[in-house]
Amino acid sequence: MSVVESETVALNTVGGGPRNQGSRAWPAIRRFMPVLVVAVVLFATWLWVSSLQLDSIEQRTLNADYIVSRIQEHLVLTVTASILVAVLAIPAGIAATRSRSRMFTATVVGIANVGQATPAIGVVILLAIVWQTGFTTALVSLVAYSFLPVLRNTMAGLEQVDSTIVESARGMGMTPGQVLRRVELPLASPVILAGLRTALVFAVGVATVATFINAGGLGDMIINGLKLQRFPVLLVGAVLVAAIAVLIDWLAGLVEEMVRPRGM
Amino acid sequence: MTEPTSAGPFSTVNGAVGIELENVSKIYPGQTGTAVESFSMSINPGELVMLVGPSGCGKTTTMKMINRIIEPSSGSIRIGGNDVLSLDPNQLRRHIGYVIQQIGLFPHLTIEENIATVPRLLGWSKKKTADRVEELLITVQLDPGIFAKRYPRQLSGGQQQRVGVARALAADPPVMLMDEPFGATDPITREKLQAEFLRLQSEIGKTIIFVTHDFEEAIKLGDRIAVLGERSRIEQFDTPSNILSAPANDYVSSFIGQGASLKRLALIPVAEARLGQASGDASGARVDIAGTLRDALDLLVLTGGSSIDVSEGERVVGSISHTAISEALGAAPLAGARQAE
Amino acid sequence: MTGFDWDTLAVFLTRRYDDILELAGEHLTVVLISVGIALIIGVAVGLLVWDKPITRSVSISTAAVMLTIPSLALLALLSPLLGLGWGPSVVALVFYSLLPIVRNTVVGLREVPVPILESARGVGMGRVRVLFTMQLPIAWPIILAGVRTAVQLTVGIAAIAAYVAGPGLGQYIFKGLSSLGSKNALNYALTGTVSVVILALLLDAAFLIIARYTISRGLK
Repeated sequence: MSVVESETVALNTVGGGPRNQGSRAWPAIRRFMPVLVVAVVLFATWLWVSSLQLDSIEQRTLNADYIVSRIQEHLVLTVTASILVAVLAIPAGIAATRSRSRMFTATVVGIANVGQATPAIGVVILLAIVWQTGFTTALVSLVAYSFLPVLRNTMAGLEQVDSTIVESARGMGMTPGQVLRRVELPLASPVILAGLRTALVFAVGVATVATFINAGGLGDMIINGLKLQRFPVLLVGAVLVAAIAVLIDWLAGLVEEMVRPRGM
Repeated sequence: MTEPTSAGPFSTVNGAVGIELENVSKIYPGQTGTAVESFSMSINPGELVMLVGPSGCGKTTTMKMINRIIEPSSGSIRIGGNDVLSLDPNQLRRHIGYVIQQIGLFPHLTIEENIATVPRLLGWSKKKTADRVEELLITVQLDPGIFAKRYPRQLSGGQQQRVGVARALAADPPVMLMDEPFGATDPITREKLQAEFLRLQSEIGKTIIFVTHDFEEAIKLGDRIAVLGERSRIEQFDTPSNILSAPANDYVSSFIGQGASLKRLALIPVAEARLGQASGDASGARVDIAGTLRDALDLLVLTGGSSIDVSEGERVVGSISHTAISEALGAAPLAGARQAE
Repeated sequence: MTGFDWDTLAVFLTRRYDDILELAGEHLTVVLISVGIALIIGVAVGLLVWDKPITRSVSISTAAVMLTIPSLALLALLSPLLGLGWGPSVVALVFYSLLPIVRNTVVGLREVPVPILESARGVGMGRVRVLFTMQLPIAWPIILAGVRTAVQLTVGIAAIAAYVAGPGLGQYIFKGLSSLGSKNALNYALTGTVSVVILALLLDAAFLIIARYTISRGLK
């Protein structure tokens, strides 16, 4: 009987019967869970490293000055790239959807698909070989790489806006520009923002491989740690970059929720 | 090869079974008050009972407790004398046809495979299953050659609903539960499906519980109608003509709505009325004796005369007047009107 | 700045033809093995959590957080534990494949319409039978889309795994970096990168064929 009973309860929940009485605290716990986990991991790493007898090589990297400047490099690269992407890719996406030419839209989507299949490390290294190593190259490849998700999400976001809503906005006498600003962009914003969030997280990852082309960042610590067989250095670099990725994603998620139009 | 009999775990009377519900209640956990309160009803073998009531009155819950899609909180349900609650729910459901408004055809299976679901669960042989599927498709007027290999999304709503009925009939269950099966179809399709359903029921004679919120549908299809109020309380349980002629209370009257007499006329055959002398006018309008009083009245209004001739095939057997129609309405035998039809 | 001309590339490709094919084969193998493992784990997790609100949301958000961790960081962390080569590569690729597969399994199972589930129970199917004959086949197109995403993701990440001596075409990309300044640097990096793109596109095309043969026609 007990099996049958639970079966019925499951169906009732779906069918609009009594709602599941989940814990009220749950949403709050879920929201702050990533931050908590990151804090615990960072603290544990710090405790562990503090307990070690560091040799001279390790001391050269495992000190506040060195770490802070690597974090700075990493963040500057990531944030600059993301801002550039937002400024370039969102208007490009809008332009692509405004274009009446199906060919043009299809070409953009096609390029975006091939672009997505291109490995980030390949883009970074190729650019370094044909151009130069350093920060600018890393920045350009980051922008090139993060451009596509934002472009695609902008297009997808605008295209999924219910055409009847656009039609009624036009019917009220709004100009195409007004329809775009007041109706389409707000309704597409969750999808566009999701694209930006993906781009931001991508950028943190790609900025890590920037170390291969002498563009600095926390990748330096990881690579040095590996090359010199210094596990503490490697671990601190990897943990920090992972923490930055998780925190940036978490912040972007918060922004996404705040900016989302009410009623959606 | 041991194949379960169609009646499965139930004992039958001429292939049909009766259903008894006794003080059946449903209380959803975490909710105050009962959804269904102490519902009792006795349904004869081969009878088509309509449960009719407004949405949210508990009629669907009541029906779904019979195949234990919703588990009753208390009370007893017997089909053919067997206690439903003591049977394995899956075994039970394989012997109860079940049709719901949303149809619920399995989208990834062909029409053939959909209909064969229960026979396969019961372990029928391939040959027997295939024959049964073909037979059923013909019964519900879908050409097996065209439809057997199609998928549900390739069918119209009306066609899907027929497949839904065929699937429910597949293992020839003695009992059918139908939850607003024609509710989602357009009026023309609905009328057609209802007519087909009546024809089908006259052939197969299942014991059927049919839930609807449409009183017209209830009158049209039901042997007996249970008008349900809140918490599935039975306000009246009687034949359509009795409910129309003598509503038990204001609630039932309001449910019948306007024009109860007109609705009743559609239930009484012309043969029930006192027929007068034929007019002898060979070119006059005629109503067939197998028609209803409503058809006769319709013609009377249309011709503007005081009476019209009644025919039986080519032969004129008498005439019917406004007075005769009114009398028949007043004196119509309370029970058995539908059986006489 | 390194010059580029078609002739040296042609010579480069003819000389290393076998080598490139072998690396492409390795790349394909490591992706298929990893996504295969992730498919088994991911669907199993999906089946366990899809109808439990809290565990479901914990597993999906955990997998989502996992996906944000930069691959170089994870590979570096794994190498002291698993050494170099295939070990850390496979583990990292499985790790990144889990989110799309778990999430799509859960979404797919949840999106099966209630009337279909009710009908399935109404004809007397038990819970397990409903899961395996109704929910999984109906959810399969969505699960497969998740696998496809996972494959696209891992083809790119596998290229980075070459840094910890992982198998595949990434080796050519890194060879290009290490021979920076020599005449073949560009040829190595270009061959590696373009081959990865071609592999990714071919795998994507393969999914169209898989979808054709494994998704019921009634669901298309």
